[in-house]
Amino acid sequence: MPRIDAHLHVFTKASAEFPREVSDVWPAEREEPVEKLLGEMEKHQIDQAVLVQMAGASIENHRYLLQCLKEYPNRFVGIGLVPEGHPNPVEHMAELTDNTGIIGFRFSTFGGPRDIFAKMDVREFAAYPIWECAAERDYVLWLYPNAINAHLLPYLIEAFPQVRIVLNHLAVCPGAGKFSWDEFGRPQVQVSGYNLFMHTTYRLARFENVNVHLSGQYAFSKEEFPYKDLAGWHHGLLGGFGAKRLMWATDFPWILEEPGYGKLTTVIEELLPNLSEAELADIMGGNAKRILRFPDL
Amino acid sequence: MILPTPEEKRQWEEEGYLVFENAIQGEDLKRLQDTFDYWADACKEEWLDRVEAGDAVATFYDIPNPLEKDPIFIDIIDYPSYYGALMAFTDHDLILLGPQVRTVAPWPVSYTGWHPDVGQSNPLHIKVQIYVNDVEPGSGEFGFVPGSHKPGSGPYARPMRQESMTGHKTFPGKAGTAIMFNSCGWHVSMDNHSDTPRKSIILIYEKRTPGRIGPGQFASISEYCQTPERRKLFSLDG
Repeated sequence: MPRIDAHLHVFTKASAEFPREVSDVWPAEREEPVEKLLGEMEKHQIDQAVLVQMAGASIENHRYLLQCLKEYPNRFVGIGLVPEGHPNPVEHMAELTDNTGIIGFRFSTFGGPRDIFAKMDVREFAAYPIWECAAERDYVLWLYPNAINAHLLPYLIEAFPQVRIVLNHLAVCPGAGKFSWDEFGRPQVQVSGYNLFMHTTYRLARFENVNVHLSGQYAFSKEEFPYKDLAGWHHGLLGGFGAKRLMWATDFPWILEEPGYGKLTTVIEELLPNLSEAELADIMGGNAKRILRFPDL
Repeated sequence: MILPTPEEKRQWEEEGYLVFENAIQGEDLKRLQDTFDYWADACKEEWLDRVEAGDAVATFYDIPNPLEKDPIFIDIIDYPSYYGALMAFTDHDLILLGPQVRTVAPWPVSYTGWHPDVGQSNPLHIKVQIYVNDVEPGSGEFGFVPGSHKPGSGPYARPMRQESMTGHKTFPGKAGTAIMFNSCGWHVSMDNHSDTPRKSIILIYEKRTPGRIGPGQFASISEYCQTPERRKLFSLDG
């Protein structure tokens, strides 16, 4: 069974050939290229990976991702972005998925009522055409919802049971103003001591098309690797979703310096030590291969 | 004080629950409904801000510090229609742990799995759930597995679908209905397939154990607790 890193990012220097947005964390001259990733994967016996677009959502911003997918069609699949408020998201998605290796798109908002007790008509959500298109064209939806959007998700999932859903990073829904970067250049998300997600995203386990990443531990933990304070969250997800709907991922490159790629290949064994060999193999790649339909090597 | 009948005592011991229809009615019920709606509306935006900041649960909402908001929320703690049963079942040694004045979003947002609240080693732990509005079948009514509170019952497992729970019973009811249950028993809020959030009040009690609730816990409402019985119920004297 292949070992698959189910969520990470690669990017190159900003250039006319590969235009991208810049920030303090990914300035124009920084690069974390696919060759560096392949080196880590080789060293730690990881066979395949999901490349997730970052640093811009326009078609041009996707050029480097598209090149990586073209160059290594058997090693990677891609997840794209759609610009917020795009006038024609369906056309945007169609262009990016035309035999490119991009299999789906990442979102954090759904454009529905903020009031959790409001009467909901899912057809009025801004994201409805995107989900409709995902259902028609078999896109995977890669979701990292903002906290105030978590209540909208079940309405969409109920309306589109045929769409494959992957909830990113332990199904956490980051709160407004709770995001920062640490001294190792890693995203940090301040979360409540009480696990609020037990009431929202964990409950989505009742929908059979919903899957979850076991990743991003460094961003939520108050401890160093192996992030034992998150063992309960992992057990909760395993209990709810079962070993067939969880996917391991590293979130490369943010973790390269601390704790390092190699250590993260053991994080599941550390946090879920009672998994059977078969369950571990599923989480470490079997599920990603089946759910995301990775090509055979 | 209205004490439970022998039949009610038997049902409590054997099945772990009692239903008090029309427990609260007339002017008291109207006042409770109006007060609930007023404070739920007044406090909702602050709750939504906390949800947005990732500091509050997004599926249900409890009016904060309800006992300080209006004396009606204090008066229902020892309301005559069920207070006698509470006292009888705890050998007249009852304390309040707290109230939850709760609005719960409908399906598919809100979903609860079957569960007990406490284990058999816990002192007798009792909840009283009061329906503030009519709760029809399929709109978030209380569900309970009769007998599941007893030592040696079960084992029970959480089914994928609520309605698949073996031996369960559901309790739709009119506004003002109070359902008392032993929290060792397996219970749930059934899915609410209406488009109306379910309003209810859950009062949580326990048989007294030393130091369980400190005298400061309910000190802010001590002016409403002048009788020895109330001071004991709210643990105001330690």
